[in-house]
Amino acid sequence: MKRSLEIELISAEGLKVDRKPVKKKTFCVVRIDQNSEVTKIDTFGGSHPIWKDKIVMEMPMDGSVRFIIVEVKYRTKGGAEKSVGVAKIPVTDFVGGFAPQGHLNFLSYRLRDQCGDKSGIVNVSIMVKPDGSYKSPSPTVAQKDYAACSSQAAAAANGQMWRPRTSSSMATTVGYGGRVVTGVPVWCANNNNKSSIGYRNSTKW
Amino acid sequence: MGNCLTGDVAGGKQAIGGVQQRPTSTSNNNAALNDAVDFFFRSRGQYPLFSQIELSLSASNLIDRDITSKSDPMAVMYLRKKDGKLEEIGRTEVILNSLDPNWIEKITVSFQFEAVQTLVFHVYDVDSQYHNVPVKTLKLKDQDYLGEATCVLSEIMTKPNRSLTLNLNGNFGAGVSRRLGTLSVQAEETTASKTVVEMNLRCINLDNKDLFSKSDPFLRISRIVENSVAVPICRTEVVDNNLNPMWRPVCLTTQQYGSRDNPLIIECLDFNTNGTHDLIGRTQKSVAELERHCLQKESVNFVYTSTSHGRNKVLKGQLIVDRFVEKVQYSFLDYISSGFELNFMVAVDFTASNGDPRNPGSLHYNDPSGKPNSYQQAIMEVGEVIQFYGSDRRFPAWGFGGRTSDNTVSHAFNLNGAPHGDEVVGVEGIMSAYASALHNVALAGPTLFSHVVDKAANIASQSLSQNIPKYFVLLIITDGVLTDMAGTLDALVRASDLPLSVLIVGVGNADFSQMEILDADNGRRLESSTGRVATRDTVQFVPMTAVHSGQVSVVQALLEELPGQFLSYVRSRNINPVGAPAI
Repeated sequence: MKRSLEIELISAEGLKVDRKPVKKKTFCVVRIDQNSEVTKIDTFGGSHPIWKDKIVMEMPMDGSVRFIIVEVKYRTKGGAEKSVGVAKIPVTDFVGGFAPQGHLNFLSYRLRDQCGDKSGIVNVSIMVKPDGSYKSPSPTVAQKDYAACSSQAAAAANGQMWRPRTSSSMATTVGYGGRVVTGVPVWCANNNNKSSIGYRNSTKW
Repeated sequence: MGNCLTGDVAGGKQAIGGVQQRPTSTSNNNAALNDAVDFFFRSRGQYPLFSQIELSLSASNLIDRDITSKSDPMAVMYLRKKDGKLEEIGRTEVILNSLDPNWIEKITVSFQFEAVQTLVFHVYDVDSQYHNVPVKTLKLKDQDYLGEATCVLSEIMTKPNRSLTLNLNGNFGAGVSRRLGTLSVQAEETTASKTVVEMNLRCINLDNKDLFSKSDPFLRISRIVENSVAVPICRTEVVDNNLNPMWRPVCLTTQQYGSRDNPLIIECLDFNTNGTHDLIGRTQKSVAELERHCLQKESVNFVYTSTSHGRNKVLKGQLIVDRFVEKVQYSFLDYISSGFELNFMVAVDFTASNGDPRNPGSLHYNDPSGKPNSYQQAIMEVGEVIQFYGSDRRFPAWGFGGRTSDNTVSHAFNLNGAPHGDEVVGVEGIMSAYASALHNVALAGPTLFSHVVDKAANIASQSLSQNIPKYFVLLIITDGVLTDMAGTLDALVRASDLPLSVLIVGVGNADFSQMEILDADNGRRLESSTGRVATRDTVQFVPMTAVHSGQVSVVQALLEELPGQFLSYVRSRNINPVGAPAI
């Protein structure tokens, strides 16, 4: 059985070749089994490139593939492609273990060059695309009506939660009187009762 | 301060203030860091008498310590504590080849009205070999010292324009007194506004300032503050050799740009390694105007003010706003009060390194008079905080490194002694479970954190698969002597992508250097033996000695990093407060 992986090559940090920071255009090659995919080239970042490039690849789930290989490469002025370093991502880091199905895994790995020296860190995110029967567990739950709660809570919480502005010369530096009102939620004394949670001044919501 | 220093190739070419690097790093809006602490105090009727102040630093006429070029200054701010020791508060970025630097990176400090807060500023010349290193990791003793200045924070705050200029002085031996220049400090109150503006900026038809190649442009955005001084707030990265550059998205917080109608000065400069960046052109626009230009797809012409004539010349070069998005960045409290639950777990160290419970010197001393031992004290003090933020007052409680009743050493046994069900209720529950465990469990070893970390990670991952908005905090109370550093690192790195933070509370006076390594506050990321690197910082170490000596309160110590760690998790996944509209 095969599953498709959504792999985002996000960025890399501190890329080095021969202990010197990489200045050139960098890109990534991802290899699963015999297949490989290439990301777009970053021209801004030098040794701290940001790709934010998503690729989708198939991976057999029968245990025959144990690692995904990510290689960071750079392109020289002459157009040649050279390697910065390689990271081997164990499949167990995003399948099974602590990662529930459909979980978006943010993973970072140390890159090493051919000599085994550290040559930077690569940041990726990997999601095993759920098959049709599975619902994604992104925690955006419980539809609650914000407007409804806010009217309840405002009365109960007023005066208890923050200090009213003083009229002294300190008033300009106090900060709290002014800080809290700008859409910061108000939590009532009874913090187990969720219906008493509300937002004041909810213009931003 | 933000993780936004990238440390670029050519040193000093990086973007500062408003560019996010890692997906899991929190941006430089750290006002949220403290609202968790304030909230705790306010809920019990104590109003902390402090407000957050942001300091912008600039200097002029610094001395020159480099031979072939000018100094590359960086400022470090300390708070002088009661015992005279200096506590580092923050650092600015390094500015290349300048004796009159105007630092962009701000330093945040809490202004306590009732206390005398003595600030000490040290200015260093950072050698070029360190220019690619994050400033947080720089060793200051390797840098050339350019002088220091001292003032009291309230001195700045009571000035009408909130700024103060100090003379730098320093000891260069032989009693030589030299003019070392001045340091100016500008203070501003932080705002808790959650609005963030993200823009994609590019320029076209810029003038060429370089002789043999094209210009290397970057943008510097400054805000005009009350007394018409321009404070730089953000700088883009340098695009080499390009007259039609496009920069990475710039992200400005309300703290940075003030209000929508506050004029901002946008300057386009040509980067020169010798520090004298040539002005290509400048324009003055507010955020509201930039938004309008974006909507109407208008471009803004740069203006060049010639120094000799004082006349403004409208240039061919234009600034284009390709994208303008206003976003809301929710704070820690937004999530918590919307029903995002914090769940605490407690693990207590039962290893022999704590000393025999019958011995009064032991941290686990079982005092017949009932006086609480070090662990009990720690549990009580910490418990107050976690009981407040914990949503259901039920805590899974474990012990580790003890020999349980079946005569085997367990590295994660239930503290209450029950074979199934590790949960206890409230601080009293932890206390009584601890007391019973002290009777039933013999102290043993070795000290392994990995079992309890794995156990906590399992709970966190189960809640993930059940689709519940929860964040977990594992509290490890320990004397700090760790047997298996590599195993602990592996477990922490494995768990770093889960909604889990680990708070290590150190009791006693042992050597906590291992805990400091786990905390990784120096900007280095934890790395496992397999080469995986921690996705984000999830560990914080709190020594109880610091709490007891009165340097920080327990609440402050415990909640120092937790809101940031929490936000790094939810923001990287675009998780919104429960019921809030999507950003």
